Amino acid sequence: MKVEEKEHIMTEPKTIPEINKKALIEARNVNVFYGHFQALKDINISMNKNSVTAFIGPSGCGKSTFLRCFNRMNDYIDGYSIKGEIVIDQKKINWKNVVIEELRKEVGMVFQKPNPFPKTIFENVAYGLKIQGIKDKSFIEERVIKSIKDVALWDEVKDDLKKSALALSGGQQQRLCIARTLAVEPKIVLMDEPTSALDPISTASIEELMFELKQKYTIVIVTHNMQQAARISDKTAFFYMGEIIEYDDTKIIFTNPKQEKTQNYITGRFG
Amino acid sequence: MTHLDSELKQIKQQVIEMMSLVRSQLAKGKDAVLTFDKDLVHEINANENRVNAMELNIDRAVEDVLALYSPVAVDLRFVMAAYKISSDLERIADNAVGIAKYINSVDRQLAQKNLDKIRFTEMYENALTMLDNVFEAFEKEDTKLARQVFIKDALLNEINSNAAHIAIELIHAKPEKIHNYLYLLSIIRKLERVGDLTKNIAEELIFYIEAKVLKHQKTTNP
Amino acid sequence: MTNSQKNKLIDNAFKIFGVACTLFGLIILAILIYDILKTGLTRIDWDFITNLPSRRAQKAGIYTALMGTVWILFLTAIIAFPIGVGAGIYLEEYGKKSKWANFLEINIANLAGVPSIIYGLLGLEIFVRAFNLGGSLLAGSLTLSLLILPIVIVSTREALKAVPSSIKDASVALGASKWQTIWNQTLPASVGGVLTGVILAISRAIGETAPLIVVGALAYVPFAPSSPMDEFTVMPIQIFNWVSRPQHEFAVNSAAAIIILLLITFMMNGVAVYYRNKWQKKIKW
Repeated sequence: MKVEEKEHIMTEPKTIPEINKKALIEARNVNVFYGHFQALKDINISMNKNSVTAFIGPSGCGKSTFLRCFNRMNDYIDGYSIKGEIVIDQKKINWKNVVIEELRKEVGMVFQKPNPFPKTIFENVAYGLKIQGIKDKSFIEERVIKSIKDVALWDEVKDDLKKSALALSGGQQQRLCIARTLAVEPKIVLMDEPTSALDPISTASIEELMFELKQKYTIVIVTHNMQQAARISDKTAFFYMGEIIEYDDTKIIFTNPKQEKTQNYITGRFG
Repeated sequence: MTHLDSELKQIKQQVIEMMSLVRSQLAKGKDAVLTFDKDLVHEINANENRVNAMELNIDRAVEDVLALYSPVAVDLRFVMAAYKISSDLERIADNAVGIAKYINSVDRQLAQKNLDKIRFTEMYENALTMLDNVFEAFEKEDTKLARQVFIKDALLNEINSNAAHIAIELIHAKPEKIHNYLYLLSIIRKLERVGDLTKNIAEELIFYIEAKVLKHQKTTNP
Repeated sequence: MTNSQKNKLIDNAFKIFGVACTLFGLIILAILIYDILKTGLTRIDWDFITNLPSRRAQKAGIYTALMGTVWILFLTAIIAFPIGVGAGIYLEEYGKKSKWANFLEINIANLAGVPSIIYGLLGLEIFVRAFNLGGSLLAGSLTLSLLILPIVIVSTREALKAVPSSIKDASVALGASKWQTIWNQTLPASVGGVLTGVILAISRAIGETAPLIVVGALAYVPFAPSSPMDEFTVMPIQIFNWVSRPQHEFAVNSAAAIIILLLITFMMNGVAVYYRNKWQKKIKW
């Protein structure tokens, strides 16, 4: 069964009006359903290149669902359907002619729990290139080393590239997973609560890493930790009950939010 | 260096900039009194806006750091100190403006011998040195240097408490000049305030670096 | 008596009951093995293994039956392994949600419950007669493959299911297709479990008698088979044959053959257990 054939995916590409030229990711009137349950309601948002955008909000508010729309990870879920348009790099991604594998080379993802493959450190990072059919060994090696250096893991693992990735600590594993994502050279890196399973020191090192990565990539991060959103993001979107209540510069969200709901949430006076 | 570190460094830089501006304002105040130069007064007034803007900038930066990074321990103390220091600096600058404004009210240049009698220059120099000490202490995070301010403040207090008698003497000698002498006394009073504010800055500094609270403790040499 | 004392008593009573149940099974097995060993152990020597069958108990050996069993084992493995694993992969990874997959699933579950003699009859009708394979090794191993397919499929699915979805997510998120993910991640991670299931299934197959009798495995084959189309016999049938004879010497022979058969199954189970442990140790999610 091919996911591309689901009826929810629009069958023809509409011409895209009024594109925000600076925006790398843009969502217009996005509505997402799981069966009869509406998970996202009329989402409109645009995210700029080389920025960090944080999605915050209580559990079940739809922020993770929305994140997974960008690389179509929701396609595997029973009863999932989406209406509206998601445009990445001027291309509409939610219609049937989109090759999902190609999309995911552009839009990488880092998951909540570190999930290295039960293979060596080197093989983990090289995996994305190998499945693209790249055979050039020196190219792969170069890219692997560069990616591991990019995530500041090189000094820790340079002598152990042939060792199993599962022997690394949690924080190292997560950085390895980020390196694995970067090796494919995506434009966008999606992060779904990337530090929720890590200790504070590892969390800090990954947060620092995000500042570095911002120079080359566009990052969208879902986090339950409001302070994390405050520390690392340029813009913050507050989700509640499937809607974006407020989307603004992180400084404004955390010093002078316009909506009462946002204020209640970030000050911990929710509900 | 973490992101918080670079934010804090930026705030420190802003405070140092504000310090040097405030010091030059105060120094110009002295020159204005001594040379009766009304252009200087004008300059001081114009710069006051810059001082105020700097204070607002620091306030905003402090608010952002508190909201976004929730600093703790030494970082938190630094941010709190920076916030208070900027407000102390603003008030020192206000006093500088106040001193300068008296020039406009005095009808002619104050006689050097009267200034000497009331120990004006000595006091002013001392206040400026105190500021220098505290600024250097802030830059180098040197609490030893900051503590020297407390000793120097004693001299300001002494000159200030004698000033009233000297002013009365002067007024008795030349009652028609009562105006000028009252202004002179006011300038001395303002310098004493500057000394107190500088001492406050030193206290904030020691609080930030050593986590010791010196406020409202009646020891001159903590 | 307080409530907690009562609970403690019940606790202890159940513990004793459980120990008794376990011991019951073990004791029966021990008696059985002891009896067989006592009767048959002295009969086992190199000649017993390499001799062809004979009417005289003293000269009879298990060579043809052993070779038949080895052939059956080998053929059944190469037939059942790809088909069973392939079906398992399809059901677990591809056909998860369709009605068709549901229908298949129920039927596979049903197949696992069908008595083995029925498989024998099925094999007789399809492989022996319709495909005209006769009472050959191929017909026998095809029949046994049918018999163990449900086990292979179910254990393959279990092994695939044990691979955490986070690994599959990571793979597809990097742009891997479904097949690339299965080939590079899911299968290597589950190979231990799959192998364990296949080995256990085959070790069950070599103990089967009824379907092979129906298919036409002969009790007396003078020569060891040399190709898949040859006639054959297997250990259980040889044992069955000897046991049904009146002479005491043949009973001794059958006891000795049972020891060899048990040895083979134990060995295979041992290999399966070894693989399972090794696999579990290697991969800690």
